[in-house]
Amino acid sequence: MSDNSNDLAALHALAWVAGSDGPEKNELNIGFMPLSDSASVLVAATQGFAQPYGLTLNLRRQTSWAGINDKLLSGELDAAHSLYSMIYAIQLGISGAPATDMAVLMGLNQNGQSINLSQPLKSTGITSASALEHRVRQPGDKLNFAQTFPTGTHAMWLYYWLASQGIHPLWDVNSVVVPPPQMLAHLQAERIDGFCVGEPWCANAVAQGQGFTVATSQSIWPDHPEKVLACTREFVEQYPNTARALVMAVLEASRFIEASQENRRSTAQLLSSRDYLDVPLATIEPRFMGDYDDGLGNQWHDPHPLRFHNHGAANFPYLSDGMWFMTQFRRWGLLREDPDYLAVTRQVQQLDLYRRAASSLEIAVPADPMRRSQLIDGSIWDGSDPAGYARSFTLHARHDQ
Amino acid sequence: MLRILLINDTSKKVGRLRTALSEAGFEVIDESGLTIDLPARVEAVRPDVVLIDTESPGRDVMEHVVMMTRDQPRPIVMFTDEHDPAVMRQAIKSGVSAYIVEGIHAQRLQPIMDVAMARFESDQVLRSQLQARDQQLAERKRVELAKGMLMKMKNCNEEEAYTLMRRQAMSKQQKLIQVAEQIIAMNELLT
Repeated sequence: MSDNSNDLAALHALAWVAGSDGPEKNELNIGFMPLSDSASVLVAATQGFAQPYGLTLNLRRQTSWAGINDKLLSGELDAAHSLYSMIYAIQLGISGAPATDMAVLMGLNQNGQSINLSQPLKSTGITSASALEHRVRQPGDKLNFAQTFPTGTHAMWLYYWLASQGIHPLWDVNSVVVPPPQMLAHLQAERIDGFCVGEPWCANAVAQGQGFTVATSQSIWPDHPEKVLACTREFVEQYPNTARALVMAVLEASRFIEASQENRRSTAQLLSSRDYLDVPLATIEPRFMGDYDDGLGNQWHDPHPLRFHNHGAANFPYLSDGMWFMTQFRRWGLLREDPDYLAVTRQVQQLDLYRRAASSLEIAVPADPMRRSQLIDGSIWDGSDPAGYARSFTLHARHDQ
Repeated sequence: MLRILLINDTSKKVGRLRTALSEAGFEVIDESGLTIDLPARVEAVRPDVVLIDTESPGRDVMEHVVMMTRDQPRPIVMFTDEHDPAVMRQAIKSGVSAYIVEGIHAQRLQPIMDVAMARFESDQVLRSQLQARDQQLAERKRVELAKGMLMKMKNCNEEEAYTLMRRQAMSKQQKLIQVAEQIIAMNELLT
């Protein structure tokens, strides 16, 4: 008649144990979008990386970034695979939800998104950036470009790339929001002429003969920040041990995926499951392994493919990465004034928590929380003067000029 | 209004509690003796609280409480004449949220119900955490067992065994625990 789970003495012992450094919360709901760059979260949850830390991760597939936004704030999701810039938009109160203190726990990946143009554009000979720029200058209807969330990373890559080609992303073309899995349907219906999204939805469009890749996101910024593991700051403060355990489990999964080509390949097989991406392996695998085919007859192995770990460099929440997205919000008029870039980023990026998690797994932690990058238009970003950088672009939509 | 399922396990005439409860503003939705399947009755009438009136909670009463806590958890309030602290401890351990040995006074019923509900809620959170931990622990043990078998079979080290199991699981779109169970089953077949 005495059953362990009914034993109140054991329950109260558990309540006491929760005061030590074990996780305060054992079962977590983790949101993800069906994208190749959700891999480390899926692997952590299904391949036994969380149990040793006393965690069970329940995966919750979502249908839109807006849904992830809302469910993180309502608490229906404890943490989620999130667009880097979306977390900053929530923090600053420009995501459509009330401003809420947010936390970036770690980076999930770098690279692996792309900008694609439609088959009708291709058949009229518009197969390059310069041909696109020429078309945009012609009189007639504006072209429609889709991204996945108004303040998302895909909007920022699309805007940055168009501007680098002399096209004003807000004035010269129309910008619309389409959730990733619906991109192909909108393309087929000719409602959009181009789009920026994560894999496998670009490779899918190419494979179906519905479009071609005109620029990869890594050609805009090699090893750019992309998805993060994020939650509200309240969650980190309420469950600090749980947050650290979660970061450790996902870090280990990230390292595992990149430990060998065989691991990477079997990860692609897991992703294609109907429970996760529900897309054929043949569509996921090539770009997941770094092999690109742009749909125009060009094939290459990308020197900056989708990276999940890169010895920790893909996971470290660089302050300069967080700040960059705010400079772009400022550039495109989403922010009317300069925020205190460094102060906001220091609050959002959970550097100390990440450092503790990475060190205990013997994963290298960069000494400098800023990094220096050169982007497609030749501009240098190193985090040293965010307000000046935000003002440095010829094409912009700031209200104060 | 709180809906109460009243269980009468006394020789006293039915109704001594029902009157007090009605006076205090509670709704007694069902009343019965102990010769029922308590979890089934709870599922059928969906009370907010189960109130057990018993002279002395014996083994069969405790059995009912344990079954209900497992299958249809609800706050349980026990009114009894039994003063023995050992019996009280046993009752709490079985899942009783409030154990009341003094007589029934209508004006005391509301705070007793409030305490029972609060106590029940906090216990439920702990119970589900304990269950999650139990399951994590059980899964870990099975994975460890399978890993040990694989190390022997393949003559490999721990990390290699984990990697083999994970690759196998991912390429079949399964969880690690599923592959671990398959290895254990195969090992039982072959030895």
